[in-house]
Amino acid sequence: MEDIAERIVNLATKLGCEDAIADVIANRSYQIRFARNEPVISNRWRETSASVFLVYDRRVVASDIKDLSKVEEAVEGLVKVAKASQRNPEYAGIAKSPFKYDRVRPDPKILRLEDGSDYVEAAVAGALEEGAKECAGSFWKYEDEHRLVTSNGAVGRDHRASLYLSIRALTSPVSSGHGVACATKLSQFNPSKAGHKAGRIASLAKAPKPGQAGRYTVVLDHLIFGALISQLAARASAFAVLAGLSPLGRKVGRRIASEALTVVEDGSADSIGGRRFDHEGVPTRRKVLVQKGVLKTYLHNTSTAKRFKTRTTGNAGLISPEPHAVFVGPGDWSRDEIFSEVKDGLWLTNTWYTRFQSYVTGDMSTIPRDGIFRIRKGEIAEAWKDIRVTDNLLRLLKNIVALSDKAEQVMWWGEVEVAHHVPYALIKDVSITRSAE
Amino acid sequence: MADPDLVDYAVDYARTKGASYAEARYEQHRQQSFILKNGVLDALYSGEDRGIGVRVLAKGSLGFAATNTLTKPEVRATVDDAVKIARASVRKNPIVFAREEAAVTDWSVPEAKPLADVSIEEKIQEIRHVDDQVLSLGYKVPARFFLMSENRITKYFANSEGSRIRSYSPRLRFYHFLTVAHNGGVEQSHRDFGWSGGWEGIRAWDLTERVLAEARSMQRSLTEGKKSPEGKMDLVVGPHVSGIAAHESCGHPTEADRILGREASQAGKSFITPESLGTRVGSEVVNVVDDPTVEHAIAFYRYDDEGVRARRRYMYKEGRIHEFLQNRETAAAFGTQSNGASRAVNYNVEAIVRMSNTFVEPADHSLEELLEGVKYGVYMKSFMEWNIDDMRYNAKYAGREAYLIENGEITHPVRDTVIELTTPAFWSAVDAVGKDLEFEGGFCGKSDPGQALDASLGGPSMRLRNVYLR
Repeated sequence: MEDIAERIVNLATKLGCEDAIADVIANRSYQIRFARNEPVISNRWRETSASVFLVYDRRVVASDIKDLSKVEEAVEGLVKVAKASQRNPEYAGIAKSPFKYDRVRPDPKILRLEDGSDYVEAAVAGALEEGAKECAGSFWKYEDEHRLVTSNGAVGRDHRASLYLSIRALTSPVSSGHGVACATKLSQFNPSKAGHKAGRIASLAKAPKPGQAGRYTVVLDHLIFGALISQLAARASAFAVLAGLSPLGRKVGRRIASEALTVVEDGSADSIGGRRFDHEGVPTRRKVLVQKGVLKTYLHNTSTAKRFKTRTTGNAGLISPEPHAVFVGPGDWSRDEIFSEVKDGLWLTNTWYTRFQSYVTGDMSTIPRDGIFRIRKGEIAEAWKDIRVTDNLLRLLKNIVALSDKAEQVMWWGEVEVAHHVPYALIKDVSITRSAE
Repeated sequence: MADPDLVDYAVDYARTKGASYAEARYEQHRQQSFILKNGVLDALYSGEDRGIGVRVLAKGSLGFAATNTLTKPEVRATVDDAVKIARASVRKNPIVFAREEAAVTDWSVPEAKPLADVSIEEKIQEIRHVDDQVLSLGYKVPARFFLMSENRITKYFANSEGSRIRSYSPRLRFYHFLTVAHNGGVEQSHRDFGWSGGWEGIRAWDLTERVLAEARSMQRSLTEGKKSPEGKMDLVVGPHVSGIAAHESCGHPTEADRILGREASQAGKSFITPESLGTRVGSEVVNVVDDPTVEHAIAFYRYDDEGVRARRRYMYKEGRIHEFLQNRETAAAFGTQSNGASRAVNYNVEAIVRMSNTFVEPADHSLEELLEGVKYGVYMKSFMEWNIDDMRYNAKYAGREAYLIENGEITHPVRDTVIELTTPAFWSAVDAVGKDLEFEGGFCGKSDPGQALDASLGGPSMRLRNVYLR
């Protein structure tokens, strides 16, 4: 691993490439999947590969080399492919070092962790104590080492390790709750809390009634608000804007959300999405995406930054800019104050299947899952099922009334793909629809 | 040591380590793709992914480990990992597999014009031609996004029961995402094309004409489209909509692992229970199948990733729930046999129950006959936004290309047609099925880590009576 990245970059340069990046990655992750309260399979990976980006005469080629015993052959092949490809007039190079990286080391206790069974049992026990009958989910120990070298002088090493647990608890086939635990330090990992939360929501969600269409004031729990902000962060990638996959086009400097919303992207912060540098070797850093409702920047690599006459934000992926870790600035409302504000509305705890009718306008819908509750005078009046949020991404963000004063770190399958640190959100006038029979 | 030898070695070694069952799967994926975005070749991806995944059953628990370092010591360590983590799992209910015949065979998908023989220049030129043709229409198209990709998959599967299966499966894909604007209005569309075989697929798709037809319909929606009518009325849906409905509200809910709760935390469960076989969920004209043996469909295979021979499965037959999609683990739980539905996206993940080519079985009506029977309604030819709940019961499909039907005739485009129906309400309303079967080459997402797997979504046009549109 030590010299493979250097060999790739040196060879590419020797073969005439003007830019080259090699990120050699050793993946040593481990997972336990569980269902019906017991493990269903355990997985472990022993993979080492090189993620490669080469530019020959402005012809851009990317690859993953899996057979590291044939690196020279692979690079020569890639240069041949590049020569046969076409110039990208929008390509503007990669970032130039020198770069200085923060000293971040993974928790040695996580690195030493061999068996996650106790954490699965703690999560399941927590849910069962709350009344759950059936639990399913995943425990993850993520561990990967990166050795990144670029032809512009960046040389970096990053050893990342974190723990994650996702648990869904059910009290009946239609009554469920979900909880997650995320940590970069073993001492902060609390799967029992995630289990209790999932079980508690599932117990509250017993005997749900079919919901009613209408416009409601809605409290969004961490997972569903994380999903909403995840859409915002993904749509803030300059690549998405240029491809017509974003409602944020030409909106930098303009209001796109309520004044209550401030969103920061920060891969350098303590988070399971944390990393020392992006794919160009640029140190990750804090940047404000949305400040008091105003869009401040897109997420950039060097090429998209030049296109938008700005600087890279340190969010380069192999091909396009991407968020690493997202933080919503907490508000000054307590959780209880948020709920008390709801005279007649809903509490949504989770969602999935967020899809757009138009990415440019932001028209979309998403389907709440797990506990859905009718709230009257700040209290749960009844559990609901079978509803859909059918609205517009920017309208939802503009209708944020308040945020709670504490944020939780969440990540979840399909909907919150990188770490998001989010509080509870109170949103007014949310459009709810439901199926016709 | 050659890779097949390493696979055989992994299986034999796992047995010596105490695995009651072991399988190993070598996969090599030779991939090439490129993005043409707004006329610029953004980036070209070219890579070869390969490795070995080992799954063992030990003490009634499953362990899976994978490596891409193909040496005997590394494969040995990988097997040790799989056995160790399986043994560390404590289950009250031991996992067992349904018995299956061992298979020793080779299969491959023929390529009339092998993908490897077509230059990258020709491939880029083909898509550039599509882009040029779209521009030549003279519409305002602020965003044009084309993705061409191919994957040549070589596999070798072996298990401790004597199965030894080699296969080669070349696959070609094209995806387009278009944004057309007119007078402040915007229409967006994305479509997927899939093909098992060689470069001849590009001609079979009639790609340029299909993309141009899409762009023309988008422009027409913007210039002539009126608000879609609301209320209860008849609806004719095109193959694109039939296909997504077949996949989402027939295929997913009949996956046996979902019914048993194995995917409850992520992909969810199902409104179908183990006792639901024979239950009516649609009208008598509804037959929905999943068939890996449809030639040239993107999810074609002869044997699944547990070495079980593939066959056609009727999930809904004459409107009733007929069969679940099974792998060996779920089949044992149901007291039946696997029907060859076990697939993995690559060597480094376990094979689980998956759909392949899922479609509404065609009948004998022409589109004109379906429309003739409608006095007032909507023809929703394609959709853009869609979603469905995790029980696969409440689905929504929002129209992309849609038209008003009056007295059996299409009169003008309509915009923003929305179907939001329960699964039984949708399928029970079908009174006639067309013969114009088409497939979309899509992806299906499931499992953790996520496996976005090749899947065809298909069907003919269908007529639904008296459903609520908004």
